[in-house]
Parts: sequence; structure tokens; C-alpha cells
Amino acid sequence: MRRRAWGWTAVTAALVAALLGPLYWAVLSSLTPEPRLFAAPGLVPRALVLTHYRALFEDHDFWVPVANSLIVAGTTTVVSVVLGALCAYATARLRFRGKAPILAFVLAVSMFPQIAIVSPLYMVLRAAGLLNTYPGLVLPYLSFAMPLTIWLLDGYFRQLPLDLEEAALVDGAGRLRTLKEIVLPLAWPGLATTAILTFLYSWNEFLFALSFTLGPERYTVPVAIALFRGQYQVPWGQILAGAVVATVPVAAVVMVAQRRITAGLTSGAVKG
Amino acid sequence: MRRLVAACVLASAGCTSVSDRVLTFSGSVVGRESEVIRRQLDRFQRAHPSIRVAVRATPDAADQRHQLYVQWLNARASEPDILQLDVVWTPEFAAAGWIANLDRFRPPGHEFFAPAIAAAQWNGSVYALPWFVDVGMLYWRTDLVPHAPRDLRELSELAARARDDRRVPFGLVWQGARYEGLVTVFLEYLGAFGGRVLDERGGVALESEPAQRAVAAMFDAIYRDRIVPAAVLTWQEEQTRFAFQNGQAVFMRNWPYAYALLQEPASGVAGRFAVAPMPAAPGGTPTATLGGSALAVNAHSDQPDDAYRLVDYLLQPEQMIERARIAGELPTRPALYGTRELEAAMTMPPADALAIIEHATPRPVTPVYSQLSEILQVSLHRALTRQQMPREALREAAAAMRALLARAKLDPPT
Amino acid sequence: MSPASAPPPAPASWRRHEARLAWAFVLPALGLVATVAVFPIAWTVWESLHLHDLRMPWLGRPFVGVANYVEAAGDRRLWSAVGHTGLFAVLTVSLELTGGLVLALGLDRLRRAAGLVRTAVLLPWALPTVVAALIWRFIFESPAGLATAMATRAGLEAPTWFADAVAAWVPLVLADVWKTTPFVAILLLAGLQAIDPALSEAAAVDGAGPWRRFTGITLPLLRPALLVACLFRTLDALRVFDLVYVMTGGGPGTATEPIALYTFSTLLQNLRFGFGAALSVLVFVAAFGLASLAIRVMGGDAFLERRS
Repeated sequence: MRRRAWGWTAVTAALVAALLGPLYWAVLSSLTPEPRLFAAPGLVPRALVLTHYRALFEDHDFWVPVANSLIVAGTTTVVSVVLGALCAYATARLRFRGKAPILAFVLAVSMFPQIAIVSPLYMVLRAAGLLNTYPGLVLPYLSFAMPLTIWLLDGYFRQLPLDLEEAALVDGAGRLRTLKEIVLPLAWPGLATTAILTFLYSWNEFLFALSFTLGPERYTVPVAIALFRGQYQVPWGQILAGAVVATVPVAAVVMVAQRRITAGLTSGAVKG
Repeated sequence: MRRLVAACVLASAGCTSVSDRVLTFSGSVVGRESEVIRRQLDRFQRAHPSIRVAVRATPDAADQRHQLYVQWLNARASEPDILQLDVVWTPEFAAAGWIANLDRFRPPGHEFFAPAIAAAQWNGSVYALPWFVDVGMLYWRTDLVPHAPRDLRELSELAARARDDRRVPFGLVWQGARYEGLVTVFLEYLGAFGGRVLDERGGVALESEPAQRAVAAMFDAIYRDRIVPAAVLTWQEEQTRFAFQNGQAVFMRNWPYAYALLQEPASGVAGRFAVAPMPAAPGGTPTATLGGSALAVNAHSDQPDDAYRLVDYLLQPEQMIERARIAGELPTRPALYGTRELEAAMTMPPADALAIIEHATPRPVTPVYSQLSEILQVSLHRALTRQQMPREALREAAAAMRALLARAKLDPPT
Repeated sequence: MSPASAPPPAPASWRRHEARLAWAFVLPALGLVATVAVFPIAWTVWESLHLHDLRMPWLGRPFVGVANYVEAAGDRRLWSAVGHTGLFAVLTVSLELTGGLVLALGLDRLRRAAGLVRTAVLLPWALPTVVAALIWRFIFESPAGLATAMATRAGLEAPTWFADAVAAWVPLVLADVWKTTPFVAILLLAGLQAIDPALSEAAAVDGAGPWRRFTGITLPLLRPALLVACLFRTLDALRVFDLVYVMTGGGPGTATEPIALYTFSTLLQNLRFGFGAALSVLVFVAAFGLASLAIRVMGGDAFLERRS
């Protein structure tokens, strides 16, 4: 019995090491001076420097993409959670015809391949003068954020206990008031989870950001790192430093909210 | 009294904001180029107090800058007013009506290198002016090899011998990643055998004997003679420079920018190398692919005259020499070569540079050059990574190019 | 909805009021989705019927009917891209399901530090794909990256990874498996934890060994979760873009180019909007068709059933 338990622990430990190993290597390399980057690799660092991070922020103004990502992801999250909660409350609790088609529609949209809507969105944004602007990114982001929030919150609202709502309704409170004063406070864990997942997906998004921004002043973090190239070269030290910086907020969110994230992922069998 | 002063200040502020013309300049502002351009723009603004120049940053990689330009110009943006164009973009932008015809300013075309000004023309008119010139050249280790190779076969022999005798890992390195650089290298091999991509009528000449031999030469250099490492197929300019700089290669094909960097104290080969044109096949003439940049004026600019004034300023000999000194970029005025000023400004001996520029060959001058290049990049890379036989790859490339030219209605009249 | 949780019946006027309120709640969200997702699809279809090349404005934008689709059907590069996408999907999904299952089984048995391990495990999943791609590209750089160094130390000759049409798949698949196995593991873990341990204990009492118990009880009960994971991961693998764009750019040559990357380079690098729109439509139809098929196979009403 005990042997089997040790066996599983070993396997799990090996897998966890395999998952964290590359991250460790990346962080280590981002602190290694350039000439030693491709020298004989060792697990234990010999010299640690901050030059890459300094170059990243001083020479390349990495604050700009970080700010852009925060603004775009934040706005997308707020808009999609608010509107999504409204819509999900209706599909979860109110009675009307058209619920199933709406949910089927939402599920269908969540399966759209992004590449299929890139070019028309590009043309529309260009005509509206919204290329390389914040709204020009938030609007396309809503195309995947809204189905996500609606689907997740619908599932969440459905499994909230009904009694408090029913009591309020019987007492004569309107639907809107019920929503505001009773349901939302109860639902805040689900709202938080949804917000976290939406923020993560928006922060990590690449294709739309690559297509709809035109210059470094509006690049988001993933785009800035991917396009991080001098005229002739690939500065690995700085790229890895950028990668680490891009990971920090994500890692922080995961550490704080891993339970919520797990619950959110499994509740709606969300697209990975 | 204070109110009077305030009123004057306000009035003058109002005045300057009305008569201030702002030009937007878009180009490469990375590293030393940034220093040069800012100095020169400052001087220009001091000489022309009513004009302000703003610099609009663009990505440093050429293909990204190209994509950005196409998006802006296709949307008929009036800014930027002045664009730094890669030498191959001029016909494309001219044919699309995105850059202004400069003939009315009577630009002094004869003052620039002939191939450079030829590459800046379309349909007989001048659409851009050559700013700095780049040519592909062969860097060779003077301490490992007695003299520059006189032809490709000698290059092979010298490289193999030096590699074996002196235990240098690589004989020759060039840029072989799937990008424009690969095409520039190929064109030098192609020219070495006397071939061309497009013939005089504008038809595709890629299935010719010279083209086959050129690809075969590149292929054999990697897999048969083993003087070129397979790793080059993922390398761009800097990776080849690092290899040469660390003493790992006997020969390197690269652009002039590397010269100054290789002479720095930290370099492992400082003082032990020289440059020569890429050699031709026995009996042929050497080819140096023409690179560099030109300056053009946005066709939809609100201030074309001011824009041309800035272009003209940046192309003056004084500015070119400063650019050579700080950024290591070669002037496009033949008259400057042989002057003491340029000699003092450049790390590379101007005479050596001039000897190579004499062999400069522009890439095919056609509005669809970028698309042709993409087809060629894919086919060449497939052939060189052994996914396809070279003959087959060239055949496919030629067919795709013909289809492209037909689609663009640029195919030669039959 | 079970009767116990249904709200009490209401008069007709109240129901009409409720319906109107519901639509008021629903329309802003739906309207946005329709604008940014559905309307563009309609536009793409219309665009695919035209010749529209932004780099050749002298050609105009004429209506050409199905000419773009005909070109696509004969386009060798497109069919290669389809093959690459399929290969990528098969390799990654099979590895992720296996790895995810093993990891889930291991996580299930954790007594201590479950939270810490879950955090560690979620990190690769939560990263931007771009970051994962760059990290693995760095590891597999030639000639002196970590992978080559390790191979050399083991006495093997490492290929120039990204210059070899076959070897380039190794870092690609590894990076994707590394990043998404955690997601699969979490899904399967939830399924595992929903299995009643009494069943397993009863089987043990009856003399069934651990493997027998696994294949006879655990796997069958895990089937729904496995199918969900398989469906979502397959759909995502078919849409792969970020990873390949950053890691190989589709190279060497076009040996690793998936269909999303080919469509992207046609649209936004080559600026051939008409032809690119036709490719987009084909991708859309394929993704949609596969998704519908999969949902039907999985007994998809189950999906929506619990929702209405």
C-alpha cells in the first residue's frame, strides 16, 4: 500500500518538475549575462545580472505594452462581466422563449476560429479609424469574452439557491432589485472567477492584438515580446526578461486564485 | 504689466501654433541610427524654424515596417510625410500611387550611384532618392587565408583547407533563414553564374541553367563540401556576425554594417579580416546584391514641398558623411569616395567599399517584388532543408511567380 | 429544470412583463456578440467572392464568384497546411490526454500541499502562449541551446531543430503539451473526484487488482470528462496560431505551417483579402462542422439539457 503511494508521489513530483523546469530555466537565463547565455548550461547560476531587465525598461519602454495590456484586458473584463451577468441572469432565472437558442448561439460563437473574423474586423476597424486604439482592441476581444462570461455565469447562477430570490419576489421586489441586492452579493465568488478567467484570456490574447495594432505605442505585452527584434538580431536575454515580466501578473493571479480558477474551468468545461 | 506680458505670450503661442508646420518622418530609429537622425533633424529644424519634425517609430524588422506602411498608405493616411523605404519597395509603392513622383523637384539623379537611382525609379520617373547603400560582401580572415578568393571554387577550397588545418568550425557562413536575406544571398550565387530572376522582358528565368547551378552550389556547400553549417538555415545577419566575430568562421557573407562592429576591441577578429566582393563562378563576374534605403514622400502628404526639402537636406554630403561616421552606413554619392572626410569617417576603407559597390546589382525592379521574394524564400528554404529537390523547387517557384505576374497583370506580352 | 427549483406559476401579464425584461437584459450582450462576431462572418463570406489585393490597388475589387475557392482547392500549400494541422492535433491531443490523465491520478492521491501543487501545475497553462513558445524556442536553439547540449551530453547527435522539417515538430509539440496538459489534468481531476470511492472499494474486496479497477471502473466513469477534454483540446489544436507563429514561423520552408498561419499570412502579410477571406470561410466551416459532429457524437443534448 505504502509503495504504491510513494510511486504516485514520485510520478507526480516528476511531472511537476517537468512543468516547472522550463520556467526555472527561463528565469535563470533572463538573469544571465549575454555572453554566457549559450555557454555550458548548469542548474546552479554562476553570475546573476539585471542588465536585461534594465534594458527592457530603459531602452525599450516596456512599461508601454504592460500598460496597454492592463487597460485592454481590464476594460474587456469589466464590460463582458457586467453585460454577461445581465444576460446570464436572464437565461438562468427568467422565463421566456428563446433561452435554448440563445445559449446554443453563445456556445457556437465561442467555437468560432479567431482567424476567420480577423480580416472583416480589420476592415471595419480601419474604416472606423479604430486601428491601433484601445476600443479597437476591446471590441474584438468581446467576441470571445462575452460568450465566455455568459456561459460561465449562466451555469453559476443556475446553481445558486432559489429561496432568497423567491422570498424577495414574493415580498414584491422587482427583478432588477432582486438581482442587485440579493443575487449579486451571493454570486460574487462566481463573478470573481469569471472575471479572473476573462482577464487571463484577454491578457494572453495574441492574434487580434497582432493584427489590430500598428505600432509599439499600442502593442500589448504578448505582441511586444513576440516582435522584439532588433534590425538583425534576436536578443534572447531581453526577450526572456520580457517573458518573465509578462508572466508575473499571471502567476500572481494563479497563486491567489488557483482554487477559483480550478472551479471555473471545471464548471463550464471552458475552452482551454 | 504682467497682463501685457501674458497677453504677448499667449499671442505668440497662438502665432507659432498656426504657422508651425509639422512633418512626420518615419524610419529606422534604432541604436546609432537614432542618434544620427535626431542630430540631423535638430539641425534641420534650426535651419528652418517654421518647420517641426516629429519622428514616428516603426518596428525595426523590415517586413514589419513594410506591412505597417502598406496599411497606412492603403488607408491614404497623410502621415508620415517622409518614409524611409527599403530599396525594393519603391516600385511597389510607386505603382500603387502611394508615394509622390519627385520629377517636378528635378532631383539630381546623376549624383547618386547608377544602380541605386535605377532601383528608385518606376515607369521612367524618380519616386525616391537613395539615402544609404548596402551591398553584400565577403568578409575573409587575413590570418587564415592568403588572399581573397578569385572564384567560387577557390572559395570552397580555401575554406575547406583553413577549416581543416586551423580547426575553425565553419568555412563559410551566410544568412539562410527563411527571409529576405536568403534571397539576397541567392542572388549573389545566381549572378555568379550569370543568371537572373526576371529576364529583360519581365518573364521568369528561374528554370535556367545558371539558376540550377546557383542552388546546387548553395546546397553542396552545406551537405557535400560541408563548408557551410546547416545551422545557417536558421540564421539572420547577427547570428552570422557572432559566428565570425568569435573566430568560428573563415569567411562570412554579410552587409557593411558588421565591419565597424568587428573592429571593436571586444571582437575576436579585430584587425584580422578584410572585405571583398562575393566571387563569381570560374569565368563569371562577381555580384553584390544592392540593399540600403531610399527616402520618399507620401503621395497624400499635406506638405510635399517641405517634405522634399527635408529629404534633400538629409541627402547632402555633410549628412551622409556624418551618417557614415556614426552609423556606419555607406553614402550613395560616388563623388564622396576618395575624399579625406569620408576616409576619416569610415572604419571600412572607402576604396574597398567602392570596389564592391561597382558590382552592385539591384533586385528585380517590379511592383510585386515582395510577393516574388516570398515565393522564392519558401522554395529556396525547402530545397536547402532537403524537403524538395532543388530542380523541383525552382520549377515550382517559377510556376508560382508566373501565376502571380499574370494575376497582377504584369506578365510579359506574349 | 426540476420541479423543485422552478418558480411558482405566474399570470400571463406577469409572464409577458418578465419576457420583456429578459430580452432587455439579454439584448446588450447579444447585440455586441452579433456585431463583433456574427456580422464579420457575413462580411467575410461576401469578401471571399471578390478579388481584393491591397498591394495591387490597380486591380480594383471586382466580383469573381467562386474563383477564390477554386484557387484554394488547387492550392498545394493549403492542403499541406491542413495536413500539418491534423498532424499537430493528433500528436498533441493524444499526448495531453495521456499526460493529463496520469497527472490527474497523481493529484487525486495528494494528501498534502495540494494547493501548492495545483498552483505550480496551473502556471504553464496560465502563461501567454507567446511566452511558452519563446521559452521552448530558446531551449531548442541551435547550436548551443539546452536541448542540443543535453542531447550531446547523452551521446546523441542533435539535429538543427528548426532547420529540419521533421525535427521542428518536436519543440512545437512539446511546448503545446507542456502548456495544456495542466488544463486537461484539472478537467479530469474533477471527473475523478466525482467518482464514488465505494465502487472502487467494493471491487477491491471482490479481488480486482488496481489495473482491473482502473479499466473497469475509473475509465468508464471518466468517459464524459475525457470526451469533453478531447473535444476542447482538438478544437484548440485545429486553431493553433500563436505557438507556431512565434516558434517556427511555419518553417522550415512551410513544413510546420498550420492553416491558421497560412490564412493569417495571406490576409495580413500578403494583404490578399479576397483569397484570404475564402480561406477564412473554409476554416470556419471546417471548425464548425467538426464541433457540431463532435457534440452530436458526445450526446450533445446533454450539454444543453442541463441548461434549459
